[in-house]
Amino acid sequence: MSKEKNQIKKAPTSPHLQIYRWNVSSLTSIFHRLTGVALYFSVIAISWYIIFFTYQINTGDISESCDCPMTVIMNFIFAAAGIAILFSLFFHFCNGIRHLFWDIGKGFEKETATTNGILVIILSFLLTAITIGTVLYFKYT
Amino acid sequence: MKIKIAPSTKSGSHHWLMQKVSAVALIPLIIWLVLSFIQISQDPQEYFPAFFAYPINAIMGILLITASLYHGSIGMRVIIEDYISNKTKMHFYIMLSNFLSIATAVAAVVAIIRLHLIG
Repeated sequence: MSKEKNQIKKAPTSPHLQIYRWNVSSLTSIFHRLTGVALYFSVIAISWYIIFFTYQINTGDISESCDCPMTVIMNFIFAAAGIAILFSLFFHFCNGIRHLFWDIGKGFEKETATTNGILVIILSFLLTAITIGTVLYFKYT
Repeated sequence: MKIKIAPSTKSGSHHWLMQKVSAVALIPLIIWLVLSFIQISQDPQEYFPAFFAYPINAIMGILLITASLYHGSIGMRVIIEDYISNKTKMHFYIMLSNFLSIATAVAAVVAIIRLHLIG
């Protein structure tokens, strides 16, 4: 009896990721959430980096020109994290604009939504590539 | 049989609207962020210390930090409400994410003002 009662009280937990067939709409929706959480913690981490930098609290200088293995590994990890954050940012940005169009009632048709979803994915990869390309172009010219 | 409704924080529509408003505000701020990132990455040690000395950068930086953390804390609240069914735990995590957001925003704004004044 008490067990039944507990089961009734249990709230239904939303998106069950395993049981649905994958399509563009669900993929972009799931990645919108994932990139959102990633960006939230990235913003907090970068903010605290700026705060520590402002008060000259030493967080370990990673930009020193030194060939010691730890520096090389850390530089690689920071570059990889930067690219991941950049991609998350562009994906969340593009898909967020798609969400805003949905909010004013545009682009709800199944075909339009799928096309827009593919466009968002392509555009976020493209913008990431353009940004990294521009950074590297300025760095090595 | 009586069905109990899932716990709610009873503030859905207001937060939904505010999430959209902050999303619109973030569009120009993100464009500024990407352009600034490209500029600073050319020579971080040269450009970053003086970056916030320019009023436009200090203003946009403060707006970006506050708007993104506001947007982010609403988003985290929605996700916590969706995935944590225990009401006590849910409220604890929402409070924790709000405290984290507010503390970070205040500290970052103070830091940017300091960089603006000394830069």
